[in-house]
Amino acid sequence: MSFWLELAASGLITGGIYAVVAIGLNLQYGLMRIMNISHGEFLMLGAYLTWLAHTVLKVNPLLSLPFVALCLFALGLGVYRLCFRRIARTAPSVEAIEARSLLVSFGLMFLVQNAAYLAWGADLRGYSFLAEPVEIAGARFTANRLVLFGFAVAASLVLLALLWFTLVGKAVRAMMQSPTGAQLVGIDTAVLHPTVFGVGLALAGVAGALLSMVYEISPAMGEPYTVTALIVITLGGLGSTLGALLGGFLLGVVEAFGMHFTSPSLKMLLSYGVFILVLLARPKGLFAR
Amino acid sequence: MPSPALAARGVTVRFGGLVAVDEVDLAVGERELVGVIGPNGAGKTTLFHALSGVLAPSSGRLVVGGDDLTGKPPHVFAAHGVARTFQTPRVFRAMTAEQNVRFGLEFAGRRRANGHDALGSAAGILEFLGLGDAASVPAGGLTPARQRLLEIGMALGARPRILLLDEVAAGLTEAEVEATAQLIRRVRDELGLTVIWIEHAVRALMDCVERVAVLHQGRKIADDLPELVARDPAVVEAYLGEEVTA
Amino acid sequence: MTLRNTWIATLAAGVVLAAAPWTLSDFALSLVLTCLMYAGLTVSWAMFSGATAYLSLATAAFFGIGAYVTAWGLATLPYAVVVPLGGLVAAAFAALVGAAILHLRGAYFAVLTFGLGELVRHAVTYFEKSYAHTVGRVLIDVPAGTTVYLTVLLLAAAAVLTSYAVRSSRFGLALAGIGADEERAQTLGVNTRLTKIAGFALAAFFAGALGAAMAVRWTYIEPNSVFNPFIGFQTVLIAMVGGAHTVIGPLASSVVFSLLTEFLRLQFPYLFLILLGLLLILLVLYLPGGIASLWPIARARLAALGARLAKLEGGGARA
Repeated sequence: MSFWLELAASGLITGGIYAVVAIGLNLQYGLMRIMNISHGEFLMLGAYLTWLAHTVLKVNPLLSLPFVALCLFALGLGVYRLCFRRIARTAPSVEAIEARSLLVSFGLMFLVQNAAYLAWGADLRGYSFLAEPVEIAGARFTANRLVLFGFAVAASLVLLALLWFTLVGKAVRAMMQSPTGAQLVGIDTAVLHPTVFGVGLALAGVAGALLSMVYEISPAMGEPYTVTALIVITLGGLGSTLGALLGGFLLGVVEAFGMHFTSPSLKMLLSYGVFILVLLARPKGLFAR
Repeated sequence: MPSPALAARGVTVRFGGLVAVDEVDLAVGERELVGVIGPNGAGKTTLFHALSGVLAPSSGRLVVGGDDLTGKPPHVFAAHGVARTFQTPRVFRAMTAEQNVRFGLEFAGRRRANGHDALGSAAGILEFLGLGDAASVPAGGLTPARQRLLEIGMALGARPRILLLDEVAAGLTEAEVEATAQLIRRVRDELGLTVIWIEHAVRALMDCVERVAVLHQGRKIADDLPELVARDPAVVEAYLGEEVTA
Repeated sequence: MTLRNTWIATLAAGVVLAAAPWTLSDFALSLVLTCLMYAGLTVSWAMFSGATAYLSLATAAFFGIGAYVTAWGLATLPYAVVVPLGGLVAAAFAALVGAAILHLRGAYFAVLTFGLGELVRHAVTYFEKSYAHTVGRVLIDVPAGTTVYLTVLLLAAAAVLTSYAVRSSRFGLALAGIGADEERAQTLGVNTRLTKIAGFALAAFFAGALGAAMAVRWTYIEPNSVFNPFIGFQTVLIAMVGGAHTVIGPLASSVVFSLLTEFLRLQFPYLFLILLGLLLILLVLYLPGGIASLWPIARARLAALGARLAKLEGGGARA
């Protein structure tokens, strides 16, 4: 029994990361139709920042979290200003925005990933943090994985709260439902868009920071998360943050069980399989209204 | 009683919680010229999306020339002779006017070999619409009014039996609206097509068509001769209500 | 250029290039080979993705599939069979995947095709480990360099010719219609689903066949080296620089980029890729139509200049 609990919990823990990354991507794509295929690279940057802070400055990774979030947020503002703002201004249609932002972020992905290779090399890096085992209800986990889960859930809930209970958040949610109505709301999109973009990257960075506490890191670690995040968004329904959260957990659990019965190498195949099946049954996503 | 060219039976289109089209029955016979009017948000364009296969209805049936096409993709509707225009002209901007019209001829128009002779060539269609001189002009370079005509031309290129026209007179001057109405009459009279016409310029439509269906908040509230519909209290109230709140 | 002229031009170029193994040094030959490979990859990519605007980032996956068809098949089948077979397997895979994801928005499609490379790589690794009990493979009985060169030349020429043929066909018109306004094209009778799947599979065929052909250049084949996202990136970049809506554009720019890659990549692997990434970003932001789009702009400017000059000479400019 405890084995299944461990498996399910393990899936939820992975799912927590998926959720955080997906929520970030959802904000960017849902609000601004920016398909940021380099999203995972910023997760990687968050991981490396935390690792650097820990190994060089001996800072506790948990304390690094807000710092990483802020750094990635600032970086997001810059990236938006340099790379995406012009697209929003000059693209003739929504499809053009999507296509161009995709290509730009494709270039960005190679740029950032190889900058990381240049800076830190291809070897796996890592550090040990809270690696002691903990026992809950007969199931064993390493403490850092529980911490990862806790913070991932916390970050997601904080964001959900911001979106549901603040005026700005409600406006963002409304705009994600109806992009054409955006102009009618009295909020300056010139300020809102870069901010939301920055928040998205900050979330990715936080996810990376959390991952660095448990796993080894490498410049290529972020790539698979972008694809998975998109799958999660599709599962949860585009524009739905709650859907991204629940979809992330769901995918994590399905993957955990699927990998157990087949093989860890088939993780991607499983994700794609789930994706296609869900799309066939419910084209608008599991949780779309 | 001959079977209708196009029949919508109890068609409902739902977007999540919003019901855009609510149990609409509409049967249009061969060579009929029918108008569809209604206040903003009445569901007229959504109905057209259902009639052309762009949207699958949430419930109800769509029968074209006796064949049940409910749920089929748009190209099947086109192959069965349903062609449409869009509210804002969606021409292929980079292609010439002639290529735009020829597009329909190459695809849906091909399968409809027993269509009308006047629809046989792109040049013929352009002539019919008065666009003969613009044949080699890129569609993006035409004036909006001419793009509207080209939009119709593209639909005619598909050699349809049934033509769905969505607000083809929007934003035109009174004289242009009149010319459009005459063109639509000619499409029915000379080309022998069945025409369903959505319009906001109600007066011109009422003078032109033989029958008017009125949609309000997704439901059909009237379907009769123009002069009777004009006097229908429910119709007056639907439009009056819009004017008061406008 | 009429279709017949382009065929003649391509065949002529093909004949000239066919003489290369006997006229060029080994190094130069290798260079031309890389150029031809990217030319074939890019032109076939543009055939689908340039026309329909469905950006496929799956080139690496198809290329790798083709390479593995060679890896698995070369021991028992002749080279002349594995190459088209690699193309066919890739095309079949593309058709299957396309049927599942081509009805999605372009952005979704692009990201999912990107994940395909990872997916296939994992699947092949798993298969090799579980059933073949190996990580990589060594290829023996490899065909001569000249054979490889001529095969790749043939594939590149075929890609170019197919590209021109498609563009002047009804199929190509359908693809262009999808790129211009997919819904509109549907209402005019185009079965967009089948058309897209066919276009996607056709592009995949060439990528797979090229992968199968080039695989023999590696003595040791393993998933990580064969499924390299750089191939997909380079293809997209070349097409973007050259202008994805023409055939000449990608051809010309593939020559430039193959040369650049060959000279710089080994010396500055990371810096080179950083610069390429930056190049793509700048290109999309400031020149979305590629270098080829400068051509009409240049011509228009020259025409306007000429008109102004004529007016000055004619005298009496209006206020």
